[in-house]
Amino acid sequence: MTDVVADGEQGEIEDAPTGTEERSFTTSLSTSSLAVLIAVVVGGLIMLFSGENPLTAYGAMLDGAFGSKFALGETLSRAAPLAIVGYGTAVALRAGLITIGAQGQVVAGAIGALLTAQFFETAPSAVAIPAAAIGGALFGMAWVLIPAMLRAYFSVNEILSTLLFTEFAALLIEYLLNNPLKPPTAITPQSDPYPDNGILGLVIDGTRFHTGVFAAVIIGLAFIWWVRSDRGFSYDLYGENPNLAQSLGISSNRVIINSLLISGATAGLVGWIQAAGLLQRVYVGIASDIGFFGLVVAFLGGATAGGVLVAALLFGALQAGGLAMQSSEGIPASLSDIIQALLLLGFSIRYAPQIVRLTRGVMANFTLVGRRRR
Amino acid sequence: MDFTLEEGEIHALVGENGAGKSTLAKIVAGSIHSDAGSMSLFGEPYQPVSRREGAAAGVAHVRQQLSLVRGLTVAQNLQLGRPDAPAVFNAGAARDEVERWSDEFGLGVPAETLIDDMALAIRQQAEILIAVAWGARLLILDEPSSALGPIETEALIALCHRLRSEGTPIIYISHRLPELTELADRLTVLRAGRVVVEGADVRDADLREVATLMIGDVSLLEVNRPEIQRGSTRLTVSDLSVSSPHGVGCHGLDFDVAAGEILGVVGIAGNGQESLAKALTGQVKLASGNVLVDDTDISGSAGQAITAGVAHIHEDRSNGLAASFTVADNATARHIGNRRFTRFGVRMGDKIAHHARELIERFQVRPPEPAAMASSLSGGNQQKLMAARELEQNPAVLVAHGPTKGLDPEAAKAMRDRCFAVAQAGGAVVVISADLDEVADLAHRIIVLYRGVVTDAFPIEDMTPQRLGAAMAGLSETSGVSGD
Repeated sequence: MTDVVADGEQGEIEDAPTGTEERSFTTSLSTSSLAVLIAVVVGGLIMLFSGENPLTAYGAMLDGAFGSKFALGETLSRAAPLAIVGYGTAVALRAGLITIGAQGQVVAGAIGALLTAQFFETAPSAVAIPAAAIGGALFGMAWVLIPAMLRAYFSVNEILSTLLFTEFAALLIEYLLNNPLKPPTAITPQSDPYPDNGILGLVIDGTRFHTGVFAAVIIGLAFIWWVRSDRGFSYDLYGENPNLAQSLGISSNRVIINSLLISGATAGLVGWIQAAGLLQRVYVGIASDIGFFGLVVAFLGGATAGGVLVAALLFGALQAGGLAMQSSEGIPASLSDIIQALLLLGFSIRYAPQIVRLTRGVMANFTLVGRRRR
Repeated sequence: MDFTLEEGEIHALVGENGAGKSTLAKIVAGSIHSDAGSMSLFGEPYQPVSRREGAAAGVAHVRQQLSLVRGLTVAQNLQLGRPDAPAVFNAGAARDEVERWSDEFGLGVPAETLIDDMALAIRQQAEILIAVAWGARLLILDEPSSALGPIETEALIALCHRLRSEGTPIIYISHRLPELTELADRLTVLRAGRVVVEGADVRDADLREVATLMIGDVSLLEVNRPEIQRGSTRLTVSDLSVSSPHGVGCHGLDFDVAAGEILGVVGIAGNGQESLAKALTGQVKLASGNVLVDDTDISGSAGQAITAGVAHIHEDRSNGLAASFTVADNATARHIGNRRFTRFGVRMGDKIAHHARELIERFQVRPPEPAAMASSLSGGNQQKLMAARELEQNPAVLVAHGPTKGLDPEAAKAMRDRCFAVAQAGGAVVVISADLDEVADLAHRIIVLYRGVVTDAFPIEDMTPQRLGAAMAGLSETSGVSGD
C-alpha cells in the first residue's frame, strides 16, 4: 500500500471537493477561453453549413462590437445593464438564492423611473436624475418584495415566484402603455417621451454611449465592497451553509429578504438607465432580454466582481456584433444568439457541480411550496 | 498487505483513522486500484477497475456516508444503477422485492418512504438490503455503527449474523472494539498501512492488546474525568417544549446545569436530541418554557445565545463548518459583526488570519494553515476547528452534540479534554449523545430522553445498564411517562 489517506473514513464533510476552485467557482482563464473557443468553432461550423463564410461573419461581428466609436458605444451600452443586473443577481446567488425575476424588475424599474421623472418634471436635473434613479430602484425592490417575503416566511421557491412576477410585470406594462401612460397621438403602445430634465446625456456624440453606463462602474465597486464586507461574508456563509449561519445568529429571513431586495434594486436601476439613457421613452419591450442574460452573466462570472464584468462585456459585444453583422453582411443575427447559447451550454456543463454546490444548501431545505425540515 | 476472507465469516478490520482500512475496502470494492499485488475472489482472479465492476462481481461496499439518493424511495434506489435493471422502472415489482427482502431478514424497511424521511439506522438497513438484492456475495461495511445507538447496533449485529448464516462473508470495519467480540469471527488489525495482526480469532483476542496494537498508546483511551467543582447554576431550562413537524420535539423539560458540571443527555437517536440542542442554542422557537443562561433568556435567539456565551459543537460536522471556506474564515466566524476585524465594514484579511493563526495554535488544528480549505482537513481536525471557533472565549454553556463521534482515539481524547476544560473553567456543559460510552466518559449526571420527555435522571455513579435500558425504552418507572 502506498499513501494511506482514508478519505471519508471518519465522516469528513460529505463530497467535499478536493481542488482549490471551491469557493464560488471562480472561473479559471484557461477553461473560460476554451469554452469561448469551442463556441466560436462550433458557431463557425454552423455558419459553414448554412452557406456563410465564418471569417466574414466573425470579422463583421468583431467590427460591429469594437471596430468604431459607435460599435464600442453599442457594446458598452449593452454590457452595462447586463453587468448591473449580474452584480445584483450575484449577491443573491452567493446567498444561495436563484432569482430569475430581474426581467420583471427591470420593467418595474423603468415604470418607476418614468413616473418619478414625470413627477419631478420641473425640478432641476440635479434633483430629477437621482430621484428617478431612486424611483427605479424602489420599484425594482417592490417587485421582488412579495417573492422575497414568500420565500422567507413560507419557503415558497423564489425561482417560481420571481418568474411569476416577471409575467405580472409584462402584463402591467402592456396595460399601462396601452392605456393611462399612452400619449393620445401614439399608435403603438409607448409612453410619453422621458422628461428632458431627467435624460442621461451622451458621453460621445453619434453613439449610444450614455452616462448611465457609468452606473455599472459604481455598482461594480459597490459589489467589490459587498464581497469583502462583514455583512457580505455573513450572507456568503448563509449561502454555503444555512444551518451554520443560523446557529451563528445570522437571521435567515434577513438574508433572504435583503439579498433579494438588493437584486431587485439593481434591476430597477437598469430600468431607469434604459428609460432615461438609452431609449428616452418607455416601451413594452424595454427590458429586452436583459433580466435573463443578467442571470446568465452572474452565473458565468462565477458571482465574482471580475467574472461578471468580463461576462457582461462578452455578451454585450456578442449582441452588438451580431446586429452589426446582420446589417452589414446580411448574416442573421440569430447566429450570435447561437454562439451565446453555446457559451452558456459550455459553461454550464463545466461548472454544473459548482452550480449545484452553490445552491445546494438552500435548495435542500425546501420543496416546491413548503420547508422540509430534517 | 495480505488479507484473506473465509466464506461465511464476519471479519473485523480495525485500526486507527488513516491506518488504511477504508483504502483496503475501496481496493476490494474496485473504487481505487492497488499499485501492486493481486486479489482473487471465490477462487477466481479479481481485478476490478471500477466500483461498478466490483458490484457486478458481487462485492458491495456500504460506506459510512451512505450512497442512497435521499430524494428517492427505497424501491427507486433499489433499481437505480442496478447492474441488471430493466429498461423501464416497474414500481410494483420494485416495491414487492423490497418488501420480500425486508421480511426475509426481519427488517422494517419501508419500500416507498423517501430516504430523507428515514432514520439513519433504517437507511443503513436499506442500503444493506439493496446490496443483497443486487446479488452481493461479499459485503464490506465501513464503520456501520459509528452513528448508531446501542439498540440499533444490536439490530445491525443481528442482521450481520443473519447474512453470515446465509453464507455471505462480511468485512466489518470499525473503531469500536467491544462490539466486535459479539459480532465477528476473526480480526485483522491495521496500523499505518500495514497488517499488524492477521485474522486472529476474536474469542482469543485480548481487546486491550488489540487497542495497543491499533494505536500504540493505550493511555489515549483512559479518561480522567475531573472531580465536579459544582458552582452556581449557569443554565436553567424550565418547562421547555419544542414542536418539530417531522421529528420528535421536546416536551416539558426541566433541568439545570451548574458551573463545572457536565450533564449527559442520552437516548436512542431521534428522541428529541436535535430539538433540545437547537433549543439550548437559541436556534428554534420554543412552544413553551424558556432557557436561561446566567439569568439571560436566550430562548429562540441564536444571536442572544452567542452573546450570552453559549457554544455549540454540532452533531454533524457538515452542519458545523463552512466546508468551502478557509480555516481562517471558519475559525473566526463567531466574530461576524465584531468591529475589531473590520474597517468601514470591510473584513481585514490580515487581522483575521493573524487571529486565526492563534486559534489554530491553541487548538492544534493541523495543518496550521489559515488559508487552507476547511474541507481539506481530516475529520479530527475539522472537529478541532469547530472547537476553536466555539470555545475561543470560555463559554458559559457548552452544548456538545456527539463531540467525539467518528474520531480516532487521539482526536477523541483531545475533544474530551476540551469539554473537561470548559467545565473546569466554570462553564456548564451539556453532552448529547447516542453513544453511551461517550456520555459515561464525560458526564457527572445523566438525563434520559425518550420521545422528547425525560424518563430518568441520575448521577453517573448510579448508572446501570438495566436502569438505562429501561429509561431509553420508555419503560422507566421513576417518572411518569405520558407518551404524547
